[in-house]
Amino acid sequence: MSKLGVIKDILQVLRHIVRQVFSRPFTYFYPFEDREYPERTRGRHIHIRENCTACGQCVRACPVVAIRIDKSDRKYEKDAALYFDYSRCIFCGLCVDACRFDALYHTPVVDLSEGSRDELKYDPERIETIEREPLEWRGRRFR
Amino acid sequence: MKGGVLLQIDIFGWLNGILGWVSGVLSWVLGIVDAVLAFVWSVIIWVWDLAWANFFLLFKAIVFPGLVFILMLIIFDVWFTRKVWARVQDRRGPFHLGKYGGLQLFADAIKLVAKETIIPEGAKRWMFRFLPGFLLVVVLLPFVFIPWSSTWIIADLSVSLVLVFAFLTAVPVIALLTGWVSGSKYTLIGGFRAANNQFAAEIPLIVSSAGPALLAGSLSILNISQAQSQLWYVLILPISFVTFLVSGIASIGLVPLDAPVADSEVIFGWRTELPGIYFTMTYFAEFAKQVLYSALMVAFFFGGSYGVPTFPPVLNFFLKFLVVLFFFIVVTSSFYRIRQDQIVKYSWKYLMPLSVINIVIALIALVYVPGLAGLLVQGG
Amino acid sequence: MSPDIGDEAVEIWFGPQHVSAHGWAAKLTVVGDYIVECDPHAGYFHRSAEKVLEFRTFKQGGLVLERMCMLEAFLAEYPYISAVEQIAGMEIPERAKVLRTIMMEASRIHSLQFWWGQLSAELGLFAMTLWPWVDREFFLDTFEELTGSRHAASFSTPGGIRYDFTDKVRQKLLRAIGRLESNLPKFKDMLLRSPTFKMRTKDVGLFNAEDGIKWGLSGPNIKSCGIPMDLRKDWPDPNLAYDLADWEVPVYENPEHPGQSDAYDRMVQRFMEIETSVSIIKQLLDQIPDGPIVDPKARAKANRLPAGEAYGRVEGTRGITTVWLKTQDKAQTPWRAKIRGPCFASYYSLKHMVPGSTFADFVVVFGSLDPYPGWWDR
Repeated sequence: MSKLGVIKDILQVLRHIVRQVFSRPFTYFYPFEDREYPERTRGRHIHIRENCTACGQCVRACPVVAIRIDKSDRKYEKDAALYFDYSRCIFCGLCVDACRFDALYHTPVVDLSEGSRDELKYDPERIETIEREPLEWRGRRFR
Repeated sequence: MKGGVLLQIDIFGWLNGILGWVSGVLSWVLGIVDAVLAFVWSVIIWVWDLAWANFFLLFKAIVFPGLVFILMLIIFDVWFTRKVWARVQDRRGPFHLGKYGGLQLFADAIKLVAKETIIPEGAKRWMFRFLPGFLLVVVLLPFVFIPWSSTWIIADLSVSLVLVFAFLTAVPVIALLTGWVSGSKYTLIGGFRAANNQFAAEIPLIVSSAGPALLAGSLSILNISQAQSQLWYVLILPISFVTFLVSGIASIGLVPLDAPVADSEVIFGWRTELPGIYFTMTYFAEFAKQVLYSALMVAFFFGGSYGVPTFPPVLNFFLKFLVVLFFFIVVTSSFYRIRQDQIVKYSWKYLMPLSVINIVIALIALVYVPGLAGLLVQGG
Repeated sequence: MSPDIGDEAVEIWFGPQHVSAHGWAAKLTVVGDYIVECDPHAGYFHRSAEKVLEFRTFKQGGLVLERMCMLEAFLAEYPYISAVEQIAGMEIPERAKVLRTIMMEASRIHSLQFWWGQLSAELGLFAMTLWPWVDREFFLDTFEELTGSRHAASFSTPGGIRYDFTDKVRQKLLRAIGRLESNLPKFKDMLLRSPTFKMRTKDVGLFNAEDGIKWGLSGPNIKSCGIPMDLRKDWPDPNLAYDLADWEVPVYENPEHPGQSDAYDRMVQRFMEIETSVSIIKQLLDQIPDGPIVDPKARAKANRLPAGEAYGRVEGTRGITTVWLKTQDKAQTPWRAKIRGPCFASYYSLKHMVPGSTFADFVVVFGSLDPYPGWWDR
C-alpha cells in the first residue's frame, strides 16, 4: 500500500516536471526585453535645478554620504550642483523625502553598471538628465 | 740522389681524387636520403593502401559513430541537459550565443581551458595531471561497441557487454585516486563516496543487463540489439529497465544519487581541486557516461535500430536515444539527493532483488505464455 | 578537538569558502562518516551594525536594521523603529498600524519561501528551489510597487510608514497570495510526501523542547516542538494590528516524538506559518482604515529624542528579534543600540544538535534551522 503510494507520488512529481518542461518559462530575455518598473521605483536620481534652493537637506538626510553639494556652482538664481556617488548610494529614498522643493526624484532607471568605479560618480551634468548613450550589443541597440 | 725518397705528389691526380671522393660521399649521402625517402614513401603507400582498403573502418572510427560524432553528441548532451534543466526550473537556459544558445558550451570550454592550472600543494603532481585525461579515455572507449545499426558499429566482440562494464569499473577507481592525490579532505571524502556509489550500483547494473543477454543468448551488444526484431525487451523486462536506469544514475553520480559530487555537502566531491582543463575533462566524462548509458539502454531494452521500418536504422536508433536521454535528464532533475548510506541500503535491498525477480518472471513467462518464445530471436 | 576522541578523528572546516557556507564557518570533527564535534564560528559576516547605528540618526537607523537580514526587511527594521517611537512617545495612525502588519506578514511569507528553496538546494533538488522563488517574485513585485525597492524596502519610519497602499499594490498582493495559495498544496504534497525528502529529514537534527528553550531558540524552531511561543500573541505590540485578525498560533507537534523536533517537523511548522500569515493578510486587507499614514509632527520628533530607553520587539520569521535602545537627552543618535538576532541561538545550538549525525546531514540540520548569518554577526 505505502509502496504503491510512493510510486504514485513519484509519478505525480514527474507529471509536474514534464508539464514544466513544455510550459513557457517565467524569466525574461533580459537585455532584449525588460520588465515594467512601477512608478515608485527607487532607481537613479534626477536633479531638477530650476527648483533647487541649495538647502542641503538631501545631503543631511543621506545615511551613507553619497551626495556632495557645490553651492558656488550656480546655473539659476539660487540653485546648487549635486554630485552623486553611486558606488555608495543605497537607494533608500531619504534624500527624495527630505527635498521639499520638488527638485530631487528617483527615476525607474536601475541598470547603472559601468566599466569602472569612477564612472559611477555622477557629475551635475549627468544627474540632471536621464538621457544617455543607448547600449549596443551585437549590432542591436536597446534603451 | 741520396739520402731520401722524394715524396712526389701528383697534385692534379690528388685534386681529381678529391672530386671523386666528394662525388662518392655525395652519392652515398644521397643514397641514404633516397633510401629513407623510399622507405617513407613505401610506408605512406602502405598506410594509404591500408587506409584505402580499410577506409570504411577508419571512417567509422573517426567520423561517424566514432570520435567526432561522439564528441558532437556529448556537446549536444551538455546543451540539452542545460536546456531541459532550465525548463524544469522555469528558466530559459543558455540563449545568448548561437541559435538557442547552441554555442554556449564552446564559450564555456574556451573559458575553462584558458584558466590557469593551479595544482594544490599537497597534490601528487604527476597523477593529478594524468588522471582526468585517463578518465576521459576510459569513458570514451566503450562507445566502440555501441551498435548504431548492424553496419554502423566500430567493432563487435562476442563479449563486448562484459568489456563495457570492465571499462566502466575503472571510473570510480580513477575518481577515488583523483580524490586521493588532490591532497584535500573534501576530495578524499568525494572519492570514497564515488567508490561507495559504485559498490552500491554496479551489481544491480550488471544483473539488470543480464536479462537482455539471457534472452538474446549472447554477450555481444550488437547481437542483443539485433535480437529484438520481433519484440522489444522493455515489454518483458520493464523492471530491469528501471533498475538499470537507477543504478546507471548511481554509477554516473547524477542528481538523486550524486553523493560523490554533492555540491552542498562536499564542495565538488573528488573534482573540487581540479583546475580548468582537468575539470573540463571530468565534466565531459560525466556527460559521456550519460550518453553511453542512454545508448546502452536503447540497445538493451528499446530494440536497438528497429523501429519505423521506412526510416534508416541509424535514425531509428538516434530518435529512441533522444527520447531515452530526455527521460534520463528528467529523472535526474526531479528528486532530492539521498545520503550515501541510503544509496547502498536501497540498492542492495530493492534494486538487486527486483532485477533478479524480473529475469525469473520473464523466464517463467517464456515457458508458460504461448507464442512469446517464438518472438525471440536466439543467438542474434 | 577534545583529547578523548581517538586518532582516527579528522578535523574539517565547513566554510567559509564552502558552497553552502556563505558567511559562516564551522569546525567539524569527523570520525568515519559521523560528526562527533561541531564548533560553529561566528564573525565571518561582521558588519559592526551596532556601532554603525550609533552614528546614524533615528530616521536612518531602520536602514541599518533592514540590512541585517534583507529577506525579512519589513520585520527586521521594525524593532528599532518601535523603540524610537516608544522613547519619543509617538502616536501611530491606525492605517499605518494595519499596513505595517500586512507588509510584515507578506515579508514573512517571502522569507519563508526563500528558506524553503534554499533548503531544497541544500538537499540537491534545484528545481524545487526555483519554483517557490517564482511565486516569491510576485511578493517582491508587490514590495516594489509599494515602496520602489524589491528587497531593502525601508517601509516604516518613526511615526508611521513612508509609502501608502494603492489599488495596484492591493491587486499585486492579492495576485501573489492567489498564486501562493494555488501552488502551496501542490508543493506541500510534493515535498512532505516525497519519500526521498522524508528519508533525508526524518530524525535529523532532533532536539527536546527543554533543551531548545535552554539554548534560546525561538520562533518556528521552538514552535515545532509543540510550544506555542509567539510574541505576536504573548506580548502584543500596541502599534501592530494583530488583534484585528482572528488567528491561532501555528504549532506542530509530531505524534511520533512529542516534545521533540526534527528537520521534517520544522518544515511542516514553517508551512503552517505561511498559511497563518496568508490568513492574517487576507483578514487585514478588508479592515484597512482610511486616514493619514504618518503624522509629520510626530515624525519630526524623531530628529531629537529625550533621554530614555526602550525595548522594541517583533516576532520575526526566524524567531524573536529585539532591539534595546538607550538615548541621552536631545540626542540625534542612539547612545547604544543592542540588537538581539534570532539566529545566534539557532546557529550555536548546532553544537548540541549536530554531533551524532552524518557529515551529509550537517547541511540539512543547518538549513532546517533557517539561520541567516547577518543575525549572528552584528
